[in-house]
Amino acid sequence: MAIEYKKSLAVFSDFVGVEEAENLLEWLLKNPKGKINLAECGHIHAANLQVLMAVKPQIVAGSKDENLQLWLGML
Amino acid sequence: MNSLLEQFLSEARDFLQSISEKLMQLESNPNSVPLMTELFRFVHTLKGNSGLFDFPEMTRVLHASEDLMDAVRNGRVNYSNTLADQLLEAMDFVGMMMDEIQVEGKIIKNYSATAAEVAKSLRGLLDSADAVNVPVAIEIYTEEGLAAKAISWAELPELNLPESIAMALYRCVMDGDTVFWLQYTPEPECFFKGEDPFFLARQVPDTLWRNVISTNDASSLAEMDVYRSQLIFQFLTTAPTEELDDLFRYVPDQIHRIKIPALAFVKPNGSVNNQTVDDEFISSALVLLEENNLAGLTRTLLTMLELSAPDLWSSSVLRWVLQCIEVEPDNERMQYALLNALRTQITPDWSSMTPTIKPHEVAIEPVAVRSVITPTIPVISSGLPDELLQIFHTVVNTQREILSLPGKWSAGRLQSVAATLLGCYRTINHVYEIETEAALQLALTEKSPLPLLALLEAALLDVAVVNTPESEIIESLGGRENANRGSEDVVSVGRRSEDAAGASQSKTLKVDQEKIDRLMNLIGEMVVAKNALPYLANRAETVFGVRELAREIKSQYAVINRVAEEMQDTIMQVRMMPMSFIFQRFPRMVRDISRKLGKEVELVLEGENTEADKNIVEALSDPLIHIVRNSLDHGLELQDVRVAAGKNAVGKLIIRATQESDRVLIEIIDDGNGIDPTVIKNKAYEKGLIDEATLERISDQDAVNLVFAAGFSTASVVSDLSGRGVGMDVVRSAVERVNGTVGIESIAGKGTRIYLSLPLSMAVTNVMIIQSNEQIFGVPMDLVVETVRVPRSQVRMIKRKQTTVLRGRIVPLLSLNDLLANDVAQLPNEDDEFATLIVRIHGEHVGILVDNFRETVDIILKPMTGILGGLPGYSGAALLGDGSVLMVLNPRELI
Amino acid sequence: MKHILIIDDAATVRLYHRNILEAAGYSVDEAINGIEALEKALVKPYDLYIVDVNMPKLDGYGFLKEFRLQENIKQAPAIMVTTEAGANDRTLGYAAGANLYLTKPIKPNELVAYVRLLLGDLS
Repeated sequence: MAIEYKKSLAVFSDFVGVEEAENLLEWLLKNPKGKINLAECGHIHAANLQVLMAVKPQIVAGSKDENLQLWLGML
Repeated sequence: MNSLLEQFLSEARDFLQSISEKLMQLESNPNSVPLMTELFRFVHTLKGNSGLFDFPEMTRVLHASEDLMDAVRNGRVNYSNTLADQLLEAMDFVGMMMDEIQVEGKIIKNYSATAAEVAKSLRGLLDSADAVNVPVAIEIYTEEGLAAKAISWAELPELNLPESIAMALYRCVMDGDTVFWLQYTPEPECFFKGEDPFFLARQVPDTLWRNVISTNDASSLAEMDVYRSQLIFQFLTTAPTEELDDLFRYVPDQIHRIKIPALAFVKPNGSVNNQTVDDEFISSALVLLEENNLAGLTRTLLTMLELSAPDLWSSSVLRWVLQCIEVEPDNERMQYALLNALRTQITPDWSSMTPTIKPHEVAIEPVAVRSVITPTIPVISSGLPDELLQIFHTVVNTQREILSLPGKWSAGRLQSVAATLLGCYRTINHVYEIETEAALQLALTEKSPLPLLALLEAALLDVAVVNTPESEIIESLGGRENANRGSEDVVSVGRRSEDAAGASQSKTLKVDQEKIDRLMNLIGEMVVAKNALPYLANRAETVFGVRELAREIKSQYAVINRVAEEMQDTIMQVRMMPMSFIFQRFPRMVRDISRKLGKEVELVLEGENTEADKNIVEALSDPLIHIVRNSLDHGLELQDVRVAAGKNAVGKLIIRATQESDRVLIEIIDDGNGIDPTVIKNKAYEKGLIDEATLERISDQDAVNLVFAAGFSTASVVSDLSGRGVGMDVVRSAVERVNGTVGIESIAGKGTRIYLSLPLSMAVTNVMIIQSNEQIFGVPMDLVVETVRVPRSQVRMIKRKQTTVLRGRIVPLLSLNDLLANDVAQLPNEDDEFATLIVRIHGEHVGILVDNFRETVDIILKPMTGILGGLPGYSGAALLGDGSVLMVLNPRELI
Repeated sequence: MKHILIIDDAATVRLYHRNILEAAGYSVDEAINGIEALEKALVKPYDLYIVDVNMPKLDGYGFLKEFRLQENIKQAPAIMVTTEAGANDRTLGYAAGANLYLTKPIKPNELVAYVRLLLGDLS
C-alpha cells in the first residue's frame, strides 16, 4: 500500500499512484483533522497533489526526497 | 490514416519539391525578390500545415526555416550556398519524417535531438545577422516552440519572488544565463491518458523557482473531481530551450514560455508603511550617484539599511540598489530609478528603460497567453464561462483596436465592425443592439469610426453588462449543441447539395491512377472492337450480298472511329505528363554530385513542358539519372583540367526534351572530355566483347556505341556515384522496354551527346502485319524504316551471309523463317521478289525477308505472361478486330 | 444554415477548417486565393470569411481591401488567420478590413467559439 491509513494519520510511501486519489480525498473528508506523513514518499501522482492542495491537511513530516519536498514544502 | 493527414502529406511533398526547386533557381539568381517571396510562402505554408498536427520536431525545423527565409526575404540575411545547403538539409529531414508518417501514420523515432540541431544551425545563420541588426529585448516562446516575438512589459508574468531568489535570478541573467518563465497547464483529461503532469513538472531541469496553482472551482470538496487535472505548474529555469522543448515535446501546446529580462526581477517587496524614507537621505544619495561616487553611495546605503527594519519595502529597495551597484556599476539610470522609487514608493517602470519595445507595436495572441495578460482596458465581466469570456473580450477589444486605427474608412469596414460587435452583443442578451445600429448609421454618414468607438468605450465601462447569469449562457450553449445533434440529418443533406454545387467550381481533380489505367484499357478494347466493323461490312457484302447494309455499316464505322479516336486522344492527354516531372530533380542532383566531386557544373534544362505518357516519363527517370551521373562522373572534368584544356572553367550539362512528331527526343549533352574510341575499343577487346579483327577495323562511331554493349562499363575508378557495375547497357534495355531507342555521339576532348527517342504514348502500338510461313505477325512500325521488294537476283552472298545493296549501302538480309527456326524457304512473289522489311536496330539497317506485307493496324499490345512470357523474340500479343490473336515480334531480340 | 468561405492556399488548412466548421453545423466553401474568393463571394455572399494572409495572386490584405468595397457583401465579418503573428501584419490586417486576427493552428473549439460569437450564434 502506497498510503497506509492510520487513525488520524495517512502515511505515504514510495510512489503514490493516480488510483489512490479518490480514497485519499474520501479519507480526508471523513477525517477533517487527518494528518499526512510524507517522510518515506518519493513521488505522488498529480491527482493526489491536487487533493492535498484542495484539502490542505497538516503535513507532519516532509519528504526525504529533496526535490519532492521543494514542491510540497509550499503546501 | 485520416483524410486530413493524407491531404497534408500529399500537399507537403509538393511543397518540398517546390522549395528545393526555388532554392536551385535562387542559386543562379540570388537577388530575385519574386523567387524569395515565393520560397518564403512555400516554407511558411508548409509550416502552417504541419502545425495542425502533432509533429513538434517537424514544425520546429520548418519554423526555423521560415524565420530564416523571412530574414532572407527582408534582406536581413543574404542568400548563400551555405544557407541553401542547410535549408535543403532541413527539407530532407522533413521529408524523412514524412516518409515515416506515410508508412507508420505517425512519427515513431525520437527526432527531437536532430530537430533541435537542424533548427539550431538554421537559427545560427539567423542569429549572426540578427545580432547586428535587430535587437530583440524580450522574447516570448510560445507553444509553437522557438518563435521569438517581442512582447510588452505589461504582458510579462507577474513575478512575486522572495528577494533572495529574485536577486539570484537577476544575477543569473546579468551573467549571461537565459531565464525562462515557464507555465505548464496540463489539459484536464490528461490523467486518463496516463500522464502524470506532476512527474513531468519535477523533471524540469535547473529550476530556480517553482510553484503550483490549483484552479479547483468545485464549491465543496466532496464535489471535487480528482481525475480532472486542475493544476498549473510554474517555473523559473535556466535550462536550455532544447532541453525544455524535448521534455515537453508531447504537450507543447500546454506550455507557455517567456524569456525574462533581468530588470523584470528587480522588484522590491516588503511591507509599506506610511513613514517614507527621509527625503534628505534620498537627496544626498542622488548627489553621490551624480558624482559617480559609488563607494560613498554604498556606505550611505548600508548605514540607512542598518537604521531601518529589514522587512520594509524601502529596505528592499536599498538592498536592490546595492545589488545593482555591485552587478551593474555603470547602470546609472537603474540606480537612479530605484533611489527615486524610495520617494514615490512605487516600483520603477522598467519598460521605459528598454527603448526597443514599443508597446503598441508588439502583439501576441491573447488566447495563447491568457494567463499572463494584464488587461489594459476595462473588462466586462458578463458571467460568461471563462473560455468564452476570454474570446468575447478578445473580439470586443480587437474591434476597439480596429476602430482606433487611423486612415480612411470604407463603409464596408465600418459595417463589418458593427456586424462583429452585434454578434458579440447578441451573446450577452442583445445589449447595445439598437445603440450600435444607430452609431453605425452616424459613422456611415460621417465616414468616421468615432461614433462606434465612443459607444464601445462607453459599453466597456458600463457595469450593467456584468450581470448576465452564467447559467443562462451555459444553457444556451448546451441548447445549441443539442439542437445541432437533433438536426444532424438536415445538416448533412444540406451539405450534400452544397457539395454538388461546389463540385463544378473546382478546377483540378485528383484521380486515382488505377482509374485512368482502367479507362485506358477500356478505350483500347473499344478501338479493337470498332476494328471489327470493317470485317463485318466486308462479310455483309461478300458473304450475305447486302451491299446497302455494308455501306451503312461503313458509314457508322466512320463515326464510331472518329469518336473512339477522340476519346483515345483525350484519355492519352490525361495520362500525359510534362518532362519537368523528372527534370525537376536534376538541379538538386547535379548540384549535390558536382559538389561532392569538386566540379563546377552549369545545368541547363530545356523543354521541360514537353509531354509524354506517364509510363514513358516514369520509365525515363532511372536511365536519365544514370546518364546524368555518368556525365558528371566521367564526362565533365575537374576545373583545373578544364582550364588547362582551354575550356570554360565551368562545365555545361544540357538536358533537353523536344517533341518530334509522335516521339519525344531527350538529349543529354555535356562539354566534357568525351569518349575516346581507342580506349573503348581496347576495353571492349579486353572484355572479349569484340574480336581482334573487329578491333582493327571498327569505326570510331561504332566503337563509341560499344558503351551500350552488355557488360561494358567505362569506370576505371569505382566511385559511389555511377560505377556500380551497371553501365549504359542498363540504360539501353530500360529505354527499349518502352519502345525507345538510345544513341550516342562523342568527340574526344569536346563532349558527348546522348539521345533517347521514345514514343509519346505506349498505350497503342502501330504495327505492320506481315505474313510468313502461312502465319501472320506484327512488327512495330517505329522500327520499320521501309518496305522493299528485293529481286532474288539482287540478293548477294557476302561472307556467307545474305545481303543486298540498298541505296549504296550494304544491308544484311535475314529470313524470318530462319529467325523463327522454321526450316522453310521464304516465298517470293510472282516476279521472284522477296518482300523485305527494313528495320532499324541499334542504328543499323537490317532487312528481314518475309512472305508478304499486309496492312498496318493500331493495337493494344499486351505483354505475354506465364510460360509465353519467357519467350524471347516477341514483345507481346494483341487482339485483332476479327477476334484473332496477333503475335508481335521484337526484332531487336530476334536478330 | 450560415455559409462560410475559407480562403487559403494550403489545401491541408482548408480541410482542417472545413472539418471543424462543418462539424459545428456551418456550410463551407473554399477558395485558394483572393481572386477566387472575390469571384465566389460576388456570386454568393457568405456570412463570414476566414482569410489566410500569404497567398499567390491576391493575398489576404488585397482580398479584404477589395472585398470591403463590394456593394451588398462588404459588411460580412472576416477573420484573418495566419501563422504570422507579427505586430505589423496584425495592424495591416485590421486596416485592410479584418475583424479578428488569429494565429494558426487554431484549436477547433476556439475557432468554433470565435465564429459563433462573430455570427451571433451563441444565443
